[in-house]
Amino acid sequence: MLGRSLKSQVVAACKLYRLRTNIDTKFNTMYKSFEFDKKLKSILFAVIILGALLSVIGIVTNLDHTHRIWSNVLLNGFFFTAIALGAAFFVIVHVLGESGWHTAVQRIPEAMSLYVPLGGVFMILVLVGMHDIYHWSHTEDLDEILLGKSAYLNPTFFSIRTVVYIILWSFLIIQFRKLSLASDGSDDIRYFNKTRTLSAIFIVLFAITSSTSAWDWIMSIDAHWFSTLFGWYIFVGSFVSSIAFIIIFVFILMKMGYLEHVNDEHLHDLGKYLFGFSIFWAYLWVSQYLLIWYSNIPEETVYYVKRMEDFGFVFYANVIINFLAPFLILMARGSKRRLNWLLVTSIIVFLGHWLDTYLAIMPGTIGHPEFGILEIGMTVFVLGIFCFVFFRNFAKAPVVPENHPYFKESFDYDNIR
Amino acid sequence: MYVSPVREPLISGEKSYSKVTEDIYAPMTGKPGKLWFGGLTLALIALGFGLFSIFITVWDGIGTWGLDRTIGWGWGITNFVWWVGIGHAGTFISAILLLFRQKWRTSINRSAEAMTIFAVMCAGLFPLIHMGRLPLGFFIFPYPNTRDVWVNFNSPLLWDVFAISTYLTVSLLFWYMGLIPDIGTIRDRLLPGLKKKVYNFLSFGWTGSARHWARHESMSLILAGLAAPLVLSVHTIVSFDFATSVIPGWHTTIFPPYFVSGAVFSGFAMVLTLMIITRKAINLEDYITKAHLESMNKIIITTGSIVGIAYITELFMAWYSGVVYEQYAFVNRAFGPYWWAYWIMMTCNVITPQLFWFKKIRRSFLATFIISIFVNIGMWFERFVIIVTSLHRDFLPSSWSMYSPTWVEVGIYIGTFGLFFTLFFLFIRAFPVIAIAEVKSVLKTSSEKFIKKGK
Amino acid sequence: MEGKAFVSGYYLDDKDLVDGIRALQEKSIEITDVRTPFPVHGLDKVLKMRRSRLPRAGFIAGALGALIGFGFQAWVFTQAWPLNFGGKPFLSVPSFIPVTFELSVLCAAFALVFGFLMRSGLGPGAPNVIFDEEVTNDRFQILLEVKGDNSEQLQAELQSAGAEGVQHHDV
Repeated sequence: MLGRSLKSQVVAACKLYRLRTNIDTKFNTMYKSFEFDKKLKSILFAVIILGALLSVIGIVTNLDHTHRIWSNVLLNGFFFTAIALGAAFFVIVHVLGESGWHTAVQRIPEAMSLYVPLGGVFMILVLVGMHDIYHWSHTEDLDEILLGKSAYLNPTFFSIRTVVYIILWSFLIIQFRKLSLASDGSDDIRYFNKTRTLSAIFIVLFAITSSTSAWDWIMSIDAHWFSTLFGWYIFVGSFVSSIAFIIIFVFILMKMGYLEHVNDEHLHDLGKYLFGFSIFWAYLWVSQYLLIWYSNIPEETVYYVKRMEDFGFVFYANVIINFLAPFLILMARGSKRRLNWLLVTSIIVFLGHWLDTYLAIMPGTIGHPEFGILEIGMTVFVLGIFCFVFFRNFAKAPVVPENHPYFKESFDYDNIR
Repeated sequence: MYVSPVREPLISGEKSYSKVTEDIYAPMTGKPGKLWFGGLTLALIALGFGLFSIFITVWDGIGTWGLDRTIGWGWGITNFVWWVGIGHAGTFISAILLLFRQKWRTSINRSAEAMTIFAVMCAGLFPLIHMGRLPLGFFIFPYPNTRDVWVNFNSPLLWDVFAISTYLTVSLLFWYMGLIPDIGTIRDRLLPGLKKKVYNFLSFGWTGSARHWARHESMSLILAGLAAPLVLSVHTIVSFDFATSVIPGWHTTIFPPYFVSGAVFSGFAMVLTLMIITRKAINLEDYITKAHLESMNKIIITTGSIVGIAYITELFMAWYSGVVYEQYAFVNRAFGPYWWAYWIMMTCNVITPQLFWFKKIRRSFLATFIISIFVNIGMWFERFVIIVTSLHRDFLPSSWSMYSPTWVEVGIYIGTFGLFFTLFFLFIRAFPVIAIAEVKSVLKTSSEKFIKKGK
Repeated sequence: MEGKAFVSGYYLDDKDLVDGIRALQEKSIEITDVRTPFPVHGLDKVLKMRRSRLPRAGFIAGALGALIGFGFQAWVFTQAWPLNFGGKPFLSVPSFIPVTFELSVLCAAFALVFGFLMRSGLGPGAPNVIFDEEVTNDRFQILLEVKGDNSEQLQAELQSAGAEGVQHHDV
């Protein structure tokens, strides 16, 4: 059957999450509900299997370089989890900002965020390979500086924190999803109001844990180095990637014939986000770099010296791709409103921020650039899983939250010429 | 443009377009009240005292200040950063809230922008006078001279010159361009005479032509798009004054976004302080409503929390880094001779804004007014703590000393309040405090009268 | 504007204004100007206004400003008088970024503002005629230029397009 009716979908979703709802609202069948059909499933399975095969080849040919293997597990585990988390942030920040325009596309970042529990599995896997990534985990062999940090950087506390982050984020995201679906299935504004409260709690916890998780998982790789900006820098980089993915998914869904209600104004706003936050990311990059360069304190500059000397080309490419591409392509009003330009820029941003994460991890773990089947395979593998989880969750809910109090606003506004 | 009827109205009462004009024009007509004269007099007295203090500084020298080794920067630079920070709210409201299509900005943007200009003028005073030899102040600009000397482009202090000048100029341009249509409105209300001639001149011949409006909107949007990164850059460059050094407590990478956040935080507090009084004093309560109050307070709690998180990050990183100087800097801040400044800062900046999580407090004018004063005090102490505690005890214990301001420094600070409020009181009489045209443009979607009708 | 004559009619609601404009357009009557107290959404589409070239001017000015800013600093520090500041290279790119950015923004802002004023013919002492002082208050006005002696006819057209207060103006 060409998809169950929207009403029955919501009923099923609410049943799945065990919510009490009063389904009396009439559903407008104008919004074509998404069906995760066999064709899409097979494509994604093919991608996942291809990624798995390449990864296996990569692993088998690198059994003497286990830190390269584990670094890639960390890279992809972190990158996609952070993207999913950034998507959750996108939704809650718009709830707190009392925004209306985003409701046309809200279900996409909502579905993306539901990857976090699975992403968490990868991060827990990283705990297994801890010794190949983090120097401080070799507790028998610590120098004075690492000893000083060992109250925070020790395998036990580190593992507990990792698990806590995953459980906390998963819990909050799933709770939000339940409330979002419940507000669809019921005319009662109570559920929507609860999303406001949950968003407020979420954002405070997110503000703290997004930084501390970045310190834990990424910054501690270069354990002798530190930067107070690091947490925010990593977060903004992930957030830009989340926006890029929202656009990519909008593109795919529109090409598949869904999301007919998404218009140029929505695209323009997404384009503005991609443009603006790419510039903001570049601003943070420059801030961190300029301050460390200017003061020229050796214990700080080693971080950049390592990257500029041993990873030179990648280092400069990173800034140029992630700043110049979105800046030049998306400055014009027209390109922000055309899906093709947005897609191209989003793909560039996605690859660029993958590179940025690569640069944050590899110099400390491997020490020189290595790029081959292992890197490609693992990325393709996790990317495939991420997309699969997205589409599956996107199919589990109505494509738009029609009962959202500001929903109609999303279809009657325009950006100034 | 559709606005959900569930949203709170931004303009209360039965307002038509002409009533809007009338309400906003009213404070500019007739004789000013006792409150205005009283306020202006106080402001002029403060300004006078400030001018006298500046005279003493220039005549007798910087020795009349409390600066000494190793504290080369004290009240002067604290006040500079404080005023610049306050100025940021105006641009944030005008530019960034415009980019985010926030209609509630229309009632407060005009005065917030004016506040920005006055605040930046007050701020600009300090780099000038702390140089000591004011007549040679033009040295900071790169101009061809017979000594073949150029300015030091490597120095953050020079970057400041460019940043503050650009910021003042662009803010002035943005403010004035937005004012032009409203000056047109005032011009057309006046009877023929000298006043009308003056406003006619200032209105640049504005006709209200649709073509001009279209261009005006396009220009405003792009100016907003320029002003937004400008705001970020200005306080970032101010933070570079400290962060590019090697001093513990100063050299830390989080300074740029943390300073910007703090600036918006203190700026909004000042806007609230001013607007809560102004709305009552000149009967604009229907335009600056609880909806505006709540939105501004949400921004205060967001930026205040970001500042709070930055404090905690700095503390953690000081420990994590293992650098003894960094660790001592923070221990000294909390428990050293200036501990009282640190704890005032923490209470005012971290604790008081968190009260805005409670809806009742968010929507109370009195509570907001009190909290806004605390925030402004707290942010002054933040700059004081950063500057003085890091300077008075850095690497070499034998160099440790103490700092306290002289009456001259305090006098200059009081003088800046005098300058700011003098300009503000004059502004209220000379120009419409609320953006008339912009409020009219949201009247249909966001006013109580029309929303009720719609229902 | 000397020696010309105009006919004006006003509306009290922006929707009525748009309807009136459409009515006049259907009769192929050329509209000289539409004046409003605030920017009316959709008016630019109805009047088929061309996209403003201001953004382009702003971009070019900004790019020029950035080039001049960076180039000047580079010249000063590598050619005019290179000095060693804390061991930094003469061409210290990170140091040059703030001034480059500020100058870029300044130039773009000037271009936008002066471009706007010049294109719109606005400025101190501009000789623009205000036909109805209530336009800046609450009236939405349509202006039609009188050609020959069709003033009566134009006034009638405006009346049938729903305008209130139709008037003839001699400049």
